[in-house]
Amino acid sequence: MRETENMEAELEYDDGEEPSFSDPEDFVDDISDEELLGDVLRDKPLEADGIDSVIVVDNVPQVGQDRLEKLKNVIHKIFSKFGKITNEFYPDTDGKTKGYIFLEYSAPSHAHEAVKNADGYKLDKQHTFRVNLFTDFDKYMSICDEWEAPEKQPFKDFGNLRHWLEDSDCRDQYSVIYDSGERTGIFANDVKEPIEVEERARWTETYVRWSPKGTYLATFHQRGIALWGGEKFKQIQRFSHQGVQLIDFSPCERYVVTFSPLMDTKDDPQAIIIWDVLTGHKKRGFHCESSAHWPIFKWSPDGKFFARMTQDTLSIYETPSMGLLDKKSLKINGIKDFSWSPGDNIIAFWVPEDKDIPARVTLMQLPSRNEIRVRNLFNVVDCKLHWQKNGDYLCVKVDRTPKGTQGVVTNFEIFRMREKQVPVDVVEMKEGIIAFAWEPNGSKFAVLHGESPRISVSFYHVKNNGKIDLIKMFDKQQANSIFWSPQGQFLVLAGLRSMNGALAFVDTSDCTMMNIAEHYMASDVEWDPTGRYVVTSVSWWSHKVDNAFWLWTFQGRLLQKNNKERFCQLLWRPRPPSLLTQEQIKLIKKDLKKYSKIFEQKDRLSQSKASKELVDKRRTMMEEYRKYRERAINMYNEQRPLRLELRGGVDTDELDSNVDDWEEETIEFFINEEIIPIGDL
Amino acid sequence: MWDTKNVLTGSADNSCRLWDCETGKQLALVETNSAVRTCGFDFSGNIIMFSTDKQMGYQCILNYFDLRDPQQIEDNQPYLSLPCNESKITSAVWGPLGEFVIAGHENGEINQYSAKSGEILKVAKEHTKQINDIQSSVDLTMVISASKDCTAKLFDSTNLEHIKTFKTERPVNSAAISPIMDHVVMGGGQEAMEVTTTSTRIGKFEARFFHAAYEEEFGRVKGHFGPINCVAFHPDGKSYSSGGEDGYVRIHYFDPQYFDFELEA
Repeated sequence: MRETENMEAELEYDDGEEPSFSDPEDFVDDISDEELLGDVLRDKPLEADGIDSVIVVDNVPQVGQDRLEKLKNVIHKIFSKFGKITNEFYPDTDGKTKGYIFLEYSAPSHAHEAVKNADGYKLDKQHTFRVNLFTDFDKYMSICDEWEAPEKQPFKDFGNLRHWLEDSDCRDQYSVIYDSGERTGIFANDVKEPIEVEERARWTETYVRWSPKGTYLATFHQRGIALWGGEKFKQIQRFSHQGVQLIDFSPCERYVVTFSPLMDTKDDPQAIIIWDVLTGHKKRGFHCESSAHWPIFKWSPDGKFFARMTQDTLSIYETPSMGLLDKKSLKINGIKDFSWSPGDNIIAFWVPEDKDIPARVTLMQLPSRNEIRVRNLFNVVDCKLHWQKNGDYLCVKVDRTPKGTQGVVTNFEIFRMREKQVPVDVVEMKEGIIAFAWEPNGSKFAVLHGESPRISVSFYHVKNNGKIDLIKMFDKQQANSIFWSPQGQFLVLAGLRSMNGALAFVDTSDCTMMNIAEHYMASDVEWDPTGRYVVTSVSWWSHKVDNAFWLWTFQGRLLQKNNKERFCQLLWRPRPPSLLTQEQIKLIKKDLKKYSKIFEQKDRLSQSKASKELVDKRRTMMEEYRKYRERAINMYNEQRPLRLELRGGVDTDELDSNVDDWEEETIEFFINEEIIPIGDL
Repeated sequence: MWDTKNVLTGSADNSCRLWDCETGKQLALVETNSAVRTCGFDFSGNIIMFSTDKQMGYQCILNYFDLRDPQQIEDNQPYLSLPCNESKITSAVWGPLGEFVIAGHENGEINQYSAKSGEILKVAKEHTKQINDIQSSVDLTMVISASKDCTAKLFDSTNLEHIKTFKTERPVNSAAISPIMDHVVMGGGQEAMEVTTTSTRIGKFEARFFHAAYEEEFGRVKGHFGPINCVAFHPDGKSYSSGGEDGYVRIHYFDPQYFDFELEA
């Protein structure tokens, strides 16, 4: 009202003067800024804006004014990789920079990139950058002082996971899958007969695997893998990986690698997953094109690294971070195959010929990536790497086509890993190779060569003086596989599957054939971890009848034949490495005579106990049978009148019951006619 | 027949025939609707039984004819005819006094069928697969059954009590009880279609001897190169014979050591 009045008042103006449009002096508007300018206000820069794009870099060298320009250039060069730097601040004191700086990017995402990649960057020996988001400081400062303890998980006691090693008779265990996969059993190996430890129906859906030290049994299911262990084989861990087909353990048993062809998506690689065994957590996922050469990831013997090969690339990862070693893969053009030494962190790999550059085998030390040995090979068709069990030797089987010839010739290049500069010796083979195997813990190797039916086996010894001797050769062998005892010295030559299960047991200390035997249609041969026993088996998966596993001594003496309905697979439970030191082992070997006396006595006792048991059992069975027969014969005798009646009084109880009835008749038969002319009289 | 005057044969030509042993003349013919699987005379020789297969819509039937009443044969009217609905009879023998027939079935069951009333007197469900053969001991007090489940079992004839089991890894086609020793012999092998996948080596199919009381195998006789289909002891117990898929019948006479052999007990 007042306004109108005022306006009216002001309408009385003189001509020639512009009207005043100002508000009266005491005007207070009652409309807020928000209503008038809301949209503009929203864009008003906040004091805090820009902070998300700021990073703090610590451990920057402290320099004086003279070197400041240079420092700024270096910093700029490093950090502009992550985005546009819009602002920088180098606080200083007493003429020197303080050692930390602030950098501002044009967008928060650049700042994040910088933190991700530059944190830990080694500028020089004394300065490793620590990079953080400015906002992180706030975040960490404002963390509640009250610390809440995490909820306590109940302790899952699985008992003694090494329980099986404490068996007083040192029986090794093995897993048996039978009933075409329906039943899985764990048995303790006793010379008399297998002792059942545990047996479950549908324990696994396909097959089982033991972990490398024997601690866990892994079973396969549609939804993933389960690990079992301890005295009662309780379920220790579960890994959910739909459609899992293959698994692999790290040698230290800390990690499990699973493969499933089903789960892979572009953004979230799930074909191969690496799991932490103890916590059950998924550590990292990888893509995988094909599982043809499982395991795709090969582990270093100490479990610190694992590596895989893709086109022209060797990627080495470290544990436990699961990140690439040195944050990048190795580019190796044409890399065909690689493998770790089983004794050291050394990788052997080979690349084929490339125009003028010959094929070569390289030995690389990890993590330094030093190439400790390179060997050039000429006219190579193919190579295979065979490591000796302790990593003492590497054998590279090289198939070559020498210049000017058509055929393929095979050489063995033997690398002596324990000698300075890794010398290489060559063994030339005249015939095609069927199988090759190093003696575990030793320096011999066995080779099967030739072509069926003329197959021979040769034994070589890699000597210290630089020579490789052919110790012995046996020809006319029926074998396609070599199985060394895990302790060395003894081996079994087997002709599996198509060769009908021919077996030869050899002692390589003097290369004698200890025994030649046969397990008809055997499909597998498995040594126990101690090297005392061998199991040959006919699996239902390869042959539908006679499914059984046979137990032999290492000398080839048959101990047991165990038939199991539709038997599929037997796997010995591995043993962890001995806890004894070398000195202790030497001591025990020295006193072996003393120990063997005690064991022999024990064996004799249990054997006589066994025969006594058997004899007792037989006695009881015979008594029962006799009693039954007595009853039956009594009844038979009682029924005699009935029998006579049924046959009209004729006694037929005995074969010769009715002698009187027999008539003797003499019959003459015409056999032959012979005419003998008597000379004319 | 016990006095070897007559022979009774049953065939897949859907008939059961009675013959005179000496002249070879056919004495009687009974026509059936399906193949005759098993037949036999009772202890007295007056009653015959035979079973027919379950074929072409016809049931498995166990028939009893009394030979003293020739009308039965003439009219093809058995005095007792028992249908077996669930599982067909694969092998059968008479009980010791002609009171019942002990029959083995395709499902592994063994039943006693009364020859008077036709009711099932006793049942034994010990085998898990088809019974291939049943034979009696010489005094008819025991029967031994050979089954596809890779075992042979000894039963008491009168009450079908299960007495012993003899285990092998191959289906058992036939088994017999020795008339003079505590021994049983068994012969078996694979089904015809699977033969080519087993050993083609000569003589791999064996007749196996078990101790009747200990249930332990003590000997094997090689020679057949096909599955053994039938085994029998000579009535005097001094020899045995076996017939096989390979088309051979083998007769073996036991060495003196066989009669002296004893397992430690």
